This record gives sequence, structure tokens and C-alpha cells, in this order.
Amino acid sequence: MLPTKTTPQKQNLADLTVLVYGRSKIGKSTWCSHSDGALFLATEPGLNALDVYQVPIRSWDELLTACGEIAEGKHPFKTVIIDTIDNAYRMCSDYICTKFKIEHESDLGYGKGWALINNEFHRVLTKMAFMPYGLFLVSHSVEKEIETRTGKYTRIVPTLPDKARKIVVGMVDLILYCDLEAVTDEEGKTSYRRVMRTKPSPHYEAGDRTGRLPETIDLDFSKFTEVFNRPAAAPKAGVSRPISAPGDSRDKKPVPAGK
Amino acid sequence: MGATTTTTYSMWSLFRNCRKACEWRYIHDLVPLEQDHNLAFGTVIHQCLEVWHGNGNLESVLDRIDRTYPNRNQDYAQKRDWHLAVAMMKGYASRYATEEFDVVSLEKTFDGKIINPATGASSRSFVLAGRVDGIVRTGDEHYLLEHKTASQVDADYLERLWTDFQIVLYSRYVEQVLGIRIAGVLYNILVKARLQQGRGENEAEYQARRAALIAKSKTRKTSAKRKLPESDDAFQERLAAKYAEPGMFHREMLYISRDRFETLQAELWELTQAFLDARRRGVFYQNTAFCFHYRRPCAYFPLCRSDGSPNVIDNLYRKVPPHEELRDEASVNEASTF
Repeated sequence: MLPTKTTPQKQNLADLTVLVYGRSKIGKSTWCSHSDGALFLATEPGLNALDVYQVPIRSWDELLTACGEIAEGKHPFKTVIIDTIDNAYRMCSDYICTKFKIEHESDLGYGKGWALINNEFHRVLTKMAFMPYGLFLVSHSVEKEIETRTGKYTRIVPTLPDKARKIVVGMVDLILYCDLEAVTDEEGKTSYRRVMRTKPSPHYEAGDRTGRLPETIDLDFSKFTEVFNRPAAAPKAGVSRPISAPGDSRDKKPVPAGK
Repeated sequence: MGATTTTTYSMWSLFRNCRKACEWRYIHDLVPLEQDHNLAFGTVIHQCLEVWHGNGNLESVLDRIDRTYPNRNQDYAQKRDWHLAVAMMKGYASRYATEEFDVVSLEKTFDGKIINPATGASSRSFVLAGRVDGIVRTGDEHYLLEHKTASQVDADYLERLWTDFQIVLYSRYVEQVLGIRIAGVLYNILVKARLQQGRGENEAEYQARRAALIAKSKTRKTSAKRKLPESDDAFQERLAAKYAEPGMFHREMLYISRDRFETLQAELWELTQAFLDARRRGVFYQNTAFCFHYRRPCAYFPLCRSDGSPNVIDNLYRKVPPHEELRDEASVNEASTF
């Protein structure tokens, strides 16, 4: 049971657990669709314009069934994409409410309903993350007012409820925030390019445990894999650098999030 | 941490409850990005009480509250806290218009040595610092004044005051450092009213309620009218009536046993030795019984659950130097996490 050697660092993007979030129609699903052996577990419509393998998921039971089949391994897929994880969480909530014959999570009292949902959500995501496939979780973005010890400011975060968001953030290797970046040409005209932000900021959530990615990268899967597959820099370990304070001039403020 | 490290009761208490949480806070300097609402409100009331016991002027207290919640007309949470703070302090000023004690000192900070009870030698690694809400005199005796805000005061709450490790420890140090003999502690407890300002109902909510009442009525009629939002004045009146009730403020005077001093001194020394050992070996283990100690997750629960994921640290926490409670007015908003 006990290991005799250390596990090597994951080299393949399709081995990682990734959270991709951003405003509607920015290209999150398109980006994910280019991953190696992509299979979409589509919990909401929106993939019509994409030529992809997809399983429509209408309930948590259907998600569990699909996961069971994926775990059997009799398929060619290498990356599982839950699009969106927000809807999957709602399905998990409905599943628990039905199971315990309640109308609302709060009906069980003392936060028990919420705890049951989060435990089930955590259990399934952990199991999926341990499967030998990449796991991409897609979420929308929302602006959240953060009340800190020194004041309030707005931050862009995935649309998941607070506790579910903390579960997902703690589980993933990469948090990629899809954003628009203003670019001004020589004539002073401003245009926007679609980018992914990979490092944490007071203004949005992002993160890169592999340490391979630049702070900002085009929202283009081929460019992303090119950078990711370059000889690795030292990966992040233990306690990382502190976040600079809001208003720090080094932090690029993003375009406000779409719903 | 340097050669002689300043420590506080909060640190030792956290170390005793969960070493892992203590490591996150006092070795890695991490605090949750988002402020705990209850602690923030308690800090505001502490500031108000400092002003009230300092000058006895209610106007300056209310002005302080107004300045603390500048966006109350746009922000529901600020307005709720503003209402509660105003009613609480008006009620307090009315209840304790005259006091039976004289204020000797307010928000007094101190620091002192930690002594090895076996040898009498002081620690070369740690000193203990703290801040007491006040020192008051009644007759010939001095007491520590300790403010507390609570959601309710029941028998368990009052029983627990006897186990307050912090205040006994602070009494000891105040005696040593300031040369004042402390006879006991005056706990000054303010209860948070659970009243909510009526938000009224919109037309759709009213029609739905009306339809439900008609469906239940044998005559198929109802005299129900649409509920309008409760005005600020009406809500303040309701809160004032609540704060006129005897149970909303409570004072408990406890005398300190001299024997307890020696026991706590020895316990504190043991904690310092255990901390040094944990730091030397780099082992701060988790006490999972503490994860939901206050019926809510510990501030570091997401961090422990993710095995210290850098993504969690970077996105949900920030670095703040320890012992915020010792800092002056400029940073008083930065209340301790625990």
C-alpha cells in the first residue's frame, strides 16, 4: 500500500483538474473543446455551435451514471468537461432535496441541508479528479462585493455558491479566468482581445499550481498548450506569494464580469 | 519569528485548540480575505464603549457610529448594523447613565515576561502582550473591565465566564506591569437584538399572500393590506423598546482566585515549550474536533481541506502580521480572526 517512490509532477494538461470561468459567450466551451479527447457533460444548453462529443445531463443521477461509465474506461475520451459546474451544483442540490424529501436546503435546519449537498458535491468531484482523465470545470463569472478588514471592493469570482466555490478552488490545479483585455493601437483606437488570466489578483480569482503559465495568455487552446508544454519552471509549493492590496498599480483591473 | 517573539492570549488559545490553525495564522500570517461580520460588529461596539467610558458623551458615540457606516442609505448590511449599534448604545447610555465605578484606564496595553514556574527564569523566546478593555476602581479595589457582545446570555454563557483563561492571565500581567492589584473582573455584556427592519412586500408578494388568505377564508374575503417597509424611526422605536428590557445588558463581577494565577502561569509555560517543539520539528497537527467548534467552519477549514493548496491561499486568504489586537486606533478595524 505504501509508496516506494515519489509521484512525478503531472506533465500533461489532460491529467489536470482545471476551473475555467468567465462571462457568457467569451469562448470557455470552445477553448475546452480543443482539449485532448474531450467529452462534455453538458448540464446546460449552449454547445450547439460546437462539433463535440457530449452527454446531455439533466439531473445529478444522470451525472453519476455518466461518471460511472467514464470510470469503467471503455471509451476513447481523455478529458471530461462539466459545462457548467454551476448547474451541476444545482442538480446536486435538487438530488439531496429529493432524497431527504424536503423542498429547500434550509428545511433540515442548522445548515444540515447545505452540508449534505456540499458533502455529496465534494465526494463526486474528488472521485472524478482521481480518475485517470483530465477534469475541466466550466463556470460563469460574477462580480462579488468583498468586505475585508480594511474596506470593500469588487472581485470577479465563479458563480458557484460560496461554499461550493471554496471546495472547487481547493481542488483544482489551474483556475483560469477568461477576460477581455483592452488593447490600444498606434492610432489610439481601443480594441479588446480575449485572454486567460492565470495568477491571483485582488480583482479576480485565478491560480496556477504548475507554475508554467504566464500571467496572461490568449484565449487560444493551441497557444495555451504550447506554453504549458515548454520545459517546466519550478512548480509552486507550499505557501505562495501574498496577494497585493486592491488598487496596487501592478494589478490590471479586468473588464467587469458578465452574468 | 525573531529571537524574542511577542505573543498574545489569542495565539496561545489557538495553539491549544488547533496547532494547524495556529500555524496558518502565526507562522504563515494568513487571515481570511473576507471579514467575519460578528467580529467586525463587536469591534465597532468596543470602540463605542471606549468613547462612552472616556467622555460620557452620547453624541460623540453616535457620531462615531455614523462615521463607521457612511453608506448606510445604499447598503442594507451597513444600515442593519447602524440601527443595531445606535439602539444598543442609546440603550446602554440610558441604563448606565451613572456608574458605580471610576474609570482608571481604557484600552490599556501591556507586555510582560513568561516565567518558568520551576526555576523562576523568564522565557528567552517569548513575551506575552495584551490589551485590556479597561481598569476601573470601586471603593478601594481595582477590577478589569471586559466588554462582550453576545447573541444571548444564558446560564451556560455565565458559567463559561469562570473558565476565562484570558482575563485571569491579563489580571496577572496588569498586576506585574502596572503595579495595580486586581481584585476581579467586571464583565460588561451587551446582547445583540435579533429584530429585523420590516422590508415590506411588493405587489406580487402581496397578491400571493392575499390569494392564500382568501383561499383559506370561508367567506372568500380578506381585509389584508399590503405590508409597507418599516420606517427607520419606527424600527428605532422598536429597538429602543427591546433595549429597555432588563436582559439586554448584563454585568457580572467575578473575583479572581490567587491560586489560579499559579496554575495558569504553569500552563502558559507548558504551551511555550510545546510551541517551540512544534516549530523546531515543523509539525503543527490538526485538531479536527475544533473544525466546527462554534457551529461553523473554522476560518482555516478550506485551507486544511485542500491540504494547503496555493490556489486557496492566493484566492481566499491574505497576509496580515499577527497580533492585530495590539495595534492602535489606526488599525483597530483589523480585528483578530479568533
